[in-house]
Amino acid sequence: MPDAIVTLQGVDKDYPLGAVVVRALQGVDLEIDAGEFTVIAGPSGSGKTTLLNLIGCVDVATRGTVTIDGANTHKLSERDLTRLRLHKLGFIFQSFNLVGVLDAFQNIELPLLLQRDLGAAARTERVRGLLEQVGLTAFAHHRPGELSGGQRQRVAIARALVSQPRIVLADEPTANLDSVTGAQILELMQALNRTGTTFLFSTHDPRVVERARRVVRMVDGRIDSDSAMSPAAAVSPAAAVSPAAAVSPAAALATLTPAAADHPAAATSV
Amino acid sequence: MGMLFRMATRNLGVHKIRTSLLGTAIALVTALLALLSGLFTGMQTTMLRTATTLMTGHVNVAGFYKPTSGTVAPVVTKAAALRAFVEKKTPGVKLIVTRGRGWGKVVSDKSSQQAALVGIDIGAEVGFRDVVQVKTGSLEGLREPHSCVIFQSTAKRLEVKVGDTVTLSAPTFRGVNNTVDVKIVAIGGDLGMFSGFNVYVPEATIRELYQLDPLTVGAIQLYVNEPDRAEEIAATLRADIEKAGWRVLPPVSQPFWRKFDTVKREDWTGQKIDVTTWTDEMQFMKWTLATVGTLITIIVGVLLVIISVGMMNALSMAIRERTREIGTLRAIGMQRGGILGLFVLEAALLGLGATIVGVVLAIGTAALVNGIGVGVGEDFQMFVMRETLWLEMDGGTVALSVGVIAAATIVASLGPAWRASRLPPVVAMQSAK
Ligand SMILES: Nc1ncnc2c1ncn2[C@@H]1O[C@H](COP(=O)(O)OP(=O)(O)O)[C@@H](O)[C@H]1O
Ligand SMILES: [Mg+2]
Repeated sequence: MPDAIVTLQGVDKDYPLGAVVVRALQGVDLEIDAGEFTVIAGPSGSGKTTLLNLIGCVDVATRGTVTIDGANTHKLSERDLTRLRLHKLGFIFQSFNLVGVLDAFQNIELPLLLQRDLGAAARTERVRGLLEQVGLTAFAHHRPGELSGGQRQRVAIARALVSQPRIVLADEPTANLDSVTGAQILELMQALNRTGTTFLFSTHDPRVVERARRVVRMVDGRIDSDSAMSPAAAVSPAAAVSPAAAVSPAAALATLTPAAADHPAAATSV
Repeated sequence: MGMLFRMATRNLGVHKIRTSLLGTAIALVTALLALLSGLFTGMQTTMLRTATTLMTGHVNVAGFYKPTSGTVAPVVTKAAALRAFVEKKTPGVKLIVTRGRGWGKVVSDKSSQQAALVGIDIGAEVGFRDVVQVKTGSLEGLREPHSCVIFQSTAKRLEVKVGDTVTLSAPTFRGVNNTVDVKIVAIGGDLGMFSGFNVYVPEATIRELYQLDPLTVGAIQLYVNEPDRAEEIAATLRADIEKAGWRVLPPVSQPFWRKFDTVKREDWTGQKIDVTTWTDEMQFMKWTLATVGTLITIIVGVLLVIISVGMMNALSMAIRERTREIGTLRAIGMQRGGILGLFVLEAALLGLGATIVGVVLAIGTAALVNGIGVGVGEDFQMFVMRETLWLEMDGGTVALSVGVIAAATIVASLGPAWRASRLPPVVAMQSAK
């Protein structure tokens, strides 16, 4: 699996809730490859956020392994996990989560300052480039409070991309936006995906699902269907994710149709 | 670091009310600490200056002469040689004077009181002229024999004025009572509790009263450039004097008049030298300063606890409000240390900024108070040894105030900042507001 950025094997996540245990994820196997534009779909409470949190290394699985870019996250210290998030992951949050006291430019620059790899001139150039890509050059020195929701999410996208992460994770990135703005944000992410950024996001918005190249459907903490699954994988659960199918999104789509017959939900969404 | 600084300053700026309330409290406590320390330093300086002028040198070379084993006189016989020796052996000495010391009765037409009788050479006593504020008359009168200078409280008690004559009466060291009439040539402003018990006469008058020969003095008083080093200087001098052949008493930290009884009971005759410091002679002063110092420490300690709690509260509040932001910073790759640093920096900036404001406030207040001369109540005068309040804002006091308060605010921030740094990054996903 040379291209796998994310690999989950037999992942469970339990939340102890008083006397009972909420089983938020159960036996999740998943593999995400470079260049994908994948949607985790499913109803509220199905475990999408939990899954993204595990992949984003902000939470740990109860059982199973989560491998990010070749590193088994269970074996990493808190410090190394933080470093991994800084260098390999980008985050886009439902509520944008910008630092209120910093302007757009400074918010985007933040991960670069944390990385300490680039000098001031290189940082400025990188941030300017991203501001341009997300169409906010004119708003560089506005603070989040002076920006609209869509503009804030653009800043957040630029912040997620500025460190050139291996994968960008977005938990319901359009949930707090009106539908027109949401569509614009999605278009932006798609365009960025075409230039090479890998995206993984969760949503329960069908219009978002329509645009995905690959859809992973969650129900009750399990993967109910995965549009990337090959027919072979479907008959042989041991190899739930086919490496062949995962090589490129196009290949995944091409091999999908027969398997999709068994999964009406997946079939309608592709 | 630049980024943390920017975030910290702006967060302080965003919460204007909280920042200014806490900042004001910190500034006021700093100002109070600085002013109290200034008062303390002022007291210390004034006490040292006044007491060392009126009562003692920084270092005293004195002693006891026992004509028989049962009698004792607090004098140094054949003092000229000793004085020359001391002068040679003590570097960094500003001034050396000899004084006569006694204890007797001062009798006026109307009244009488006990007093310490101090014989001085007014021509040599530079410090004495500086310290004593003459209300009426002139210190120059002390150049004449049979003259005396008293302080206002004594003048009031004896109901006398400049030009009047009083009688000094004391038992000589041979045991017979002797009297000398002296004319009051000047009355000085009161200088704390000591002035009321002191009467100054020419050295020759003390000799006459006690029937001493001209080579006998009460004490050789040394004023040095570094009074703080008095103990050290005294120890060296004591050893030198002993080595040179004088008999020397072991050091005992007591004023000379409290040693009388002990020395009287000792079984020796002749001359012994006693080297003491101003702290030995001024036990009362030490005690007063220690008490005032303790009081200040308690007051400031209580206030420190209050502002520390305030700081902890403010930070805890900030952390509660900014939980999602903390999670976000952690999620996008800031280490725990960064979060810790962010909050400690916020506290430190507020603490340092406020303490500097406080110190500036204190310096201004002190300049004002010192300038207009705020009167001190009579009871308090005894302690501060001045008629007006004196706040001494030296570099040490200022640095100490800023240091202590700023350090306290930083220490107070450590707990909340630590808790913030331990928040799991997943709190970033908490729903907004
Ligand atoms: N911190 C938590 N403590 C307890 N239960 C939780 C916690 N987070 C999520 N859950 C539960 O786990 C399940 C999956 O939640 P989540 O991943 O947030 O779903 P989704 O994002 O798809 O809405 C839900 O039943 C939810 O109530
Ligand atoms: Mg969710």
